[in-house]
Amino acid sequence: MTTTKTFTYSHTIGFLAATGRGLTNPVDLAFNSQGVIYVLNRAGPETTVRLPSKRVTMCNLDEDWFGDFGTGGHDDGEFWWPSAIAIDSQDQVYVADEALQRISIFDKDGKFLSKWGIKGSEPGQLEYPSNLAFDSDNNLWLTDSGNHRVQKFTKDGQFISGWGQRGSGSGQFEGPWGLALADNGDVYISDWGNDRIQRYSNDGALIKEFAGLAGEDAIHRPAGLAVDAEGNIYVADWGNERVKVLASDGTLLASLRGESVDSKWAADYFGVNPEEGRLRYAADLFPELDPPARRDREISAGVEGFLWGPTAVKLDVQGNLYVADSLRHRLQIYKTN
Amino acid sequence: MPENELGLMAHLLRRAGFGATLQELQEYQAKGYEATVEELLHPEDIPEWNDDLVRRYQPDQNSVMYFESAQSYCMYKMINSKRLLEEKISLFWHGLFATAYGKLNHAKGVLNQTDTFRRHGLGSFHNILMELSRDPAMVFWLDNKDNHKDAPNENYGRELLELFSMGIGNYSEDDVKNCARAFTGWTIANADYMAERASRDSIWPSGRIDWQFEYRPEDHDETNKEFLGRTGNFNGDDIIDIIAMRPATSWFIAGKLYNYFVSDTPNEEAISFLAEEYRKSSGDIRSMLRALFLSDYFKSESVWYDKIKSPAELVVGTARLAGSYKTPQSDITNLASDANFMGQEILNPPTVEGWHTGMEWVDTGTLVERVNSSALVIGDTLQPGVQAMIQHLKDRKNSYQPNELVDECLLLIGSLNVTDSTRERLVEFAANFGEVKFTPEDAVACSEQQVVELLQLILATREYQMA
Repeated sequence: MTTTKTFTYSHTIGFLAATGRGLTNPVDLAFNSQGVIYVLNRAGPETTVRLPSKRVTMCNLDEDWFGDFGTGGHDDGEFWWPSAIAIDSQDQVYVADEALQRISIFDKDGKFLSKWGIKGSEPGQLEYPSNLAFDSDNNLWLTDSGNHRVQKFTKDGQFISGWGQRGSGSGQFEGPWGLALADNGDVYISDWGNDRIQRYSNDGALIKEFAGLAGEDAIHRPAGLAVDAEGNIYVADWGNERVKVLASDGTLLASLRGESVDSKWAADYFGVNPEEGRLRYAADLFPELDPPARRDREISAGVEGFLWGPTAVKLDVQGNLYVADSLRHRLQIYKTN
Repeated sequence: MPENELGLMAHLLRRAGFGATLQELQEYQAKGYEATVEELLHPEDIPEWNDDLVRRYQPDQNSVMYFESAQSYCMYKMINSKRLLEEKISLFWHGLFATAYGKLNHAKGVLNQTDTFRRHGLGSFHNILMELSRDPAMVFWLDNKDNHKDAPNENYGRELLELFSMGIGNYSEDDVKNCARAFTGWTIANADYMAERASRDSIWPSGRIDWQFEYRPEDHDETNKEFLGRTGNFNGDDIIDIIAMRPATSWFIAGKLYNYFVSDTPNEEAISFLAEEYRKSSGDIRSMLRALFLSDYFKSESVWYDKIKSPAELVVGTARLAGSYKTPQSDITNLASDANFMGQEILNPPTVEGWHTGMEWVDTGTLVERVNSSALVIGDTLQPGVQAMIQHLKDRKNSYQPNELVDECLLLIGSLNVTDSTRERLVEFAANFGEVKFTPEDAVACSEQQVVELLQLILATREYQMA
């Protein structure tokens, strides 16, 4: 049954900061049991000066900043192409890395605990792990994008099962990215290169494909996913610079373009540097651009409030929708009801 | 028509592209020279490079906020695009209308300008100048945002005439002043804030915002102006109408194209031929290049290897040869750095005059960098292009004498013609290996290494470093 839902922009968390209180290309986020938000900063390029920007930022919905951990590198506890973050029932933090082909595990304060993962294409090996999700049994699911499959592990890295192969046919994948688990255990995968969402039972039986939405409602290169208790699907529609919300039958419920204004952290900065904010606040940051001549991504590059490179969508227990607005170094928060 | 048809095709692909592998050359040769020229002249018929993978795995190259990200993205595009002449013409205009990150502090702004050159660079020169005059990075670079009705700034007006179209000696100082007045009101949106943004990094809470061109009629000088002997209430587009029709412009552009595509040494007769083509085609760059590539001025063996490869041509050409960077790699920044060390910072030319080319690309420091960089890339036997060359050798014969190996390798890296003395030195080097054998199996690893060492030496030759 199609439900009626509304989505209201609430506020923005974060602003660009290479280190410390701020974000740099946030690509994913996760919540622990205490309401702490862990935001994964991919950053880049991988030059010496930029490596410290690769980190996990800890904050909450009210924009309190609790610190960060991690840095760029190949050693234990370091990141190169950090791609996804998930938190288990003991509040331990798991970070996937698409360059190092490993999962790193930290305690809730960011102390490195262990790691697992072997590069390769055999069952249980990894090639560009792109997304993570824990199921109710504390098993860790991931999209193994370079091997075009989904795999399920115990949280300490023992391979349990998996399925998928490269292709555009039914049940196949092309660089799968997002992954979400429904309350009943169904597995939702964003099949990035095939512009569709696939829904499976948790033993790998294909239930439904969500593709073929018409015209501007079409999904293009989908990234992160979330599923709510009603079965509505939230898609970071990376290729369209939007977030799409689909009902369980695939009907489009909403298409969000983004409407961010300055976060508290940004406002704090301009509060103590008023001359830097003076010209900014006099400028038109929502200019009318000429869409037919431009791609959506070029429009996003020119309109600061729009989503640009949305990579993850997450729902908290209050029903707030968080969007990792990766190229704008912030999270846009919507209230849903 | 030269006897060496494969060599001619290689010459065309070195100049209108970044060189070609033997297999690519053979595919072009099957189409024929004229058909290949036509294909190169119509990049719009070839699918655009799909950059989705790079933008997914390297988000910094999606927003290209940082200079090194933008440079790396340029490298990917030049390496992976099948639209060879589109890349080369963009590089040409980037060198001529040199706009530098150093002043703008807005990497995507400069990158967007090079995309404008990709889209329009083979069209009419008139249109190119229109696009250039509206390009936000250019507006910023040459201070046209500060060119006001009551306080003209001559910077863009002057360079438009001196460096971008006719050249010095073809206009008066009054023409410069009146040209500038005609471009008053051509600015960028939110100019005050954008100018502030260019000077300070700290006030960009959500990263850079793309600049947008804006025409402000209230800031445009609506009075009459005298320009190159004509009088009227000229706006910027009227000025470009006049400039594009001037004979001096035809000579200017002809000379620049000849220098870029044919030779570091000017040839008056060839430039005259090209200037005439400009006038006949109303300044259509595609028509000029068609005439050029089909002419003996271009085909003549006397101009083969008559240009020193620019660092970008060398680095990109070698990466294409090795088959490198087909997928996202975080060390792509090293490739851009290599070109920087050789003296060509893409997106950051040293001055508004662009790079000084020809012999100025090479000194004792940059030559070492050129040789080392090329050797490093071609020396990686894991690269698909290197593997393909080795496989070709294996498929063809089980063993090679030194002279056979040298000749086959010269062919493999794009039908490289070398002098007798260069060839002798290469054979001398290969003779150290004795006969190179691909059987039995336990000889293969050693033979592959020897092939790679020979390839590295070939890339160090004068001929490979030339285009």
